[in-house]
Amino acid sequence: MSARAWTLSVYGVIVLAGAVLHVLGRRPGSRIPTLGDVVRLATSSRSGRVGLVAGWAWFGLHFFAR
Amino acid sequence: MRSRAATPSRSRRGLAARRGLTGLADPVPWILVTAGVFDWLSGNPIHSTLLFAVALALVREDVAGRDRPPAERPAGLLGAPPAWALVLTGLLYAVLIGEFGRYSWPATVAVTAAGGAGLALAWRGPLDPTARHRPVGLAGGLAWASVVVALGLWELTQLLLQPSLTTDSRSHPTISVLTDPVLGSHPGRSVLLFAWLAAGWFLVKE
Repeated sequence: MSARAWTLSVYGVIVLAGAVLHVLGRRPGSRIPTLGDVVRLATSSRSGRVGLVAGWAWFGLHFFAR
Repeated sequence: MRSRAATPSRSRRGLAARRGLTGLADPVPWILVTAGVFDWLSGNPIHSTLLFAVALALVREDVAGRDRPPAERPAGLLGAPPAWALVLTGLLYAVLIGEFGRYSWPATVAVTAAGGAGLALAWRGPLDPTARHRPVGLAGGLAWASVVVALGLWELTQLLLQPSLTTDSRSHPTISVLTDPVLGSHPGRSVLLFAWLAAGWFLVKE
């Protein structure tokens, strides 16, 4: 297995783990939070909300801005 | 007389010092500074200043003791617009700005403006402060934290495995390198810009 394939596989496994958690969290009565639940918890304080939005703004700058 | 006048001042300084320590216990500024350092080291000093500036502003607010529940927003001006108007504006923005190349001045101005607006809205408070949140248990929180930390560490590993911090690697691609082919085309840029705007709206709205 090449280094690139290995790298991509691990990225894929991590994303898949997140997707599985999210799907499990959507089942009725589930005790696992969805991604939205976690984000809502993080944004319930100013510090978390501003921190997440700063990360979001940084993504935009990183991918598109000079 | 002098000692009586100095007491409130000392008390204020003590309060500020205690708040400063509380501010230092907040993990968010530390996370932003850490991300900023790595962004700086990988050749993006301008972008990393955003992270440093927000971290500094958060610590400053903590020291000043201003992290209170947000005041009620004035109705109308900053209330949530209808969904169709948001989607239409987002689509227009994405198609129009996606037309310009990456790192071009029009794209830079447009993304900086949207990011700045998002930060200003987030600073004021959630658009819907009455929204109910489902509780997050320790196990669930830890599960999600593991996913986020794993992704961050794997990304960092790939960054460190590059020939240098500023040279991309095909064998050890970071997420940025993986998105390069998508962002090389107008449709790809537009789709990602729209997704970026939607994510920002979700964060600001909550």
